[in-house]
Amino acid sequence: MARLLLSREWLQKNMTTVGPMVAVIAIIAGFQAINPFFLSYNGIITLVYAMSYFLIAACGLTFVIMMGSFDFSVVSLLKLAALLCVLYIDKLGFLVIPLALLTSVGFGFINGLLVAKFNVPSFMATLGISVVVEGIALYLSKGFLHIIYDETFRVLATTFIAGLPSIFYWAMGIWIISTFISMFMPFGRRTYAVGGNPIGAGLSGINVERHRIYVFMLSSLFGGLAGVLYMAQMGGGSMLIGADMPIPLFASVVAGGTALTGGVGGPHRTLLGAIIITWLQAGMLMLAIGRDTQMVTFGLIALGMSIATTDRRRILIIK
Amino acid sequence: MKILGRNKLMTPVIIQTLKTHPVILALIALVVMFSGLYPERFLTPLNFSTILRQLVTLTLFALGPSIVVVTGSLDLSYIGIWMLGGILVWLLMPILGMFSILVIPLLGLVTGLLIGVIQVKAKIPSFILTLSLLVTYWGLTAALSGGYPRPVRGYEFITAPLIRYLPTAFLWSIPITIAAVFIMKRTRIGTYLYAIGSNEEGARLAGINVDKYKILAFTLSGLFTGIGSIILFQHLGGAAPVELNLNNVVWPLVAIVLGGTPLVGGSGGPQRTILGALTFTVVYRGLLLSLLHPEAIQLLVGLLLIVSIVVGARGLKGVTIT
Repeated sequence: MARLLLSREWLQKNMTTVGPMVAVIAIIAGFQAINPFFLSYNGIITLVYAMSYFLIAACGLTFVIMMGSFDFSVVSLLKLAALLCVLYIDKLGFLVIPLALLTSVGFGFINGLLVAKFNVPSFMATLGISVVVEGIALYLSKGFLHIIYDETFRVLATTFIAGLPSIFYWAMGIWIISTFISMFMPFGRRTYAVGGNPIGAGLSGINVERHRIYVFMLSSLFGGLAGVLYMAQMGGGSMLIGADMPIPLFASVVAGGTALTGGVGGPHRTLLGAIIITWLQAGMLMLAIGRDTQMVTFGLIALGMSIATTDRRRILIIK
Repeated sequence: MKILGRNKLMTPVIIQTLKTHPVILALIALVVMFSGLYPERFLTPLNFSTILRQLVTLTLFALGPSIVVVTGSLDLSYIGIWMLGGILVWLLMPILGMFSILVIPLLGLVTGLLIGVIQVKAKIPSFILTLSLLVTYWGLTAALSGGYPRPVRGYEFITAPLIRYLPTAFLWSIPITIAAVFIMKRTRIGTYLYAIGSNEEGARLAGINVDKYKILAFTLSGLFTGIGSIILFQHLGGAAPVELNLNNVVWPLVAIVLGGTPLVGGSGGPQRTILGALTFTVVYRGLLLSLLHPEAIQLLVGLLLIVSIVVGARGLKGVTIT
């Protein structure tokens, strides 16, 4: 058994799983050695808070990348959903949650429509939508910092259950649902099929256009949900919400082992990716390493992991 | 008689031009509209001077990437080259003196070459590749500068005013633009890049060394961005910036798409990008001079991007889009 586990073939086959696990252990061991606070109870709470909303948004993005597309607007929708919550909580009460989620899904629908029906490359379509969403967020928030005074709303994310904040259970729930969808439901199978070979998927009877729209709606829904929970966790925010998130978010998906070419990977891998990225970020913050160094790190991780996860035998043309 | 005959010849040419460049119509309509709505603010020499100033910024940022877009890829690294180049000038100033400005085109060249080689060998979508590189460069800029904008003195002569109301940077941008258009329209490199953009597999089968020319496209893009950034470095304040502004990244893209270079490649090019940049600048100035909320303007710019990419992606049925 031990020989089987350590044999070269086994390692090659499971490199995309072993690699991130080794990275997680290295991160934990490294930061723990430098800073003993890292794995104390308070440290773990910090890590969990940093990871949870991030993981929800990353799960949504994973579906899009699995399908071979890219969604730039997740972070903007997270921002818009969070700002909608803080702006209208006094007028609407808990109805802001469906409002924020429906707005996000609506923009996801437009994303999908642009990609599937108008044949716009996905990064460009979602970049355009993200500029529009940023515009709306700026228009609504007027650039000010807004704070939630409603403590019942914040209970969503900050109640402690068994020693951990409730946002952790939300994130784990979403992660389990995403994994279940991708592994055991027709929706997940179709996503892999479209990502692996869109023409083949179309020929085997999948409505590729409709499926693309659904996947973009799903990713926007998760983005919006992450925004709502982010606002419940933080209790306030301005246009700066998620300002540094796009590249780390993308890096977490590829660091988990989901390749940009589509058809491989999945949300189950993104858990490790999100842990790598957010714990690295939190650990660097605990060591007072600045935002500039973090950006260089995440940019290089995104680059390196994109190169490492891509299976170059299959690709003929890449744009 | 002679004039009449000439008119007969000219009319089809004009109609043909308008058909291939519908953006000209939009441009004329916009200028007429803004001039009609608020002539006292729009039709002033100062406003035209400002339009030219913004046009230079947009053109010089968008020229390089539009070469890459012709091949069907995308290059977002221009802001990174401008930012990191600026801070390298500041760092090298004590060592190299006035020559340190030349580090910007060198950085552009190296960056373009790097992007091209990685894209061709590792086969990563160029959008993600250049975006990651952009963020890396931004982080490097912030780290090297210590978080402060670093002004560099001594290059004021680049944009020293020559003619009233005519920004000198605009004069600089003319030869750079002509060089880019010349390469794309009158040399073998340009023809091959168009061929790669319209059908990469076909270009390969026709005997073009696709990998080589793709690397060349990225290198040219980096080089043009680098040369443009010399002008822009002084034009935009003579200091290395440390904050990444999403607008700076998105607006040149809008100019490229609005000008009529489709993102799948194969047509368009730098000459169209100038038109797109001009249209975008007129729209932006027009909106800014209107009494709309500044917050609403960003929204309208986003809508403009969406509309232009949807129009630009027309007739692409059957093309595999990711």
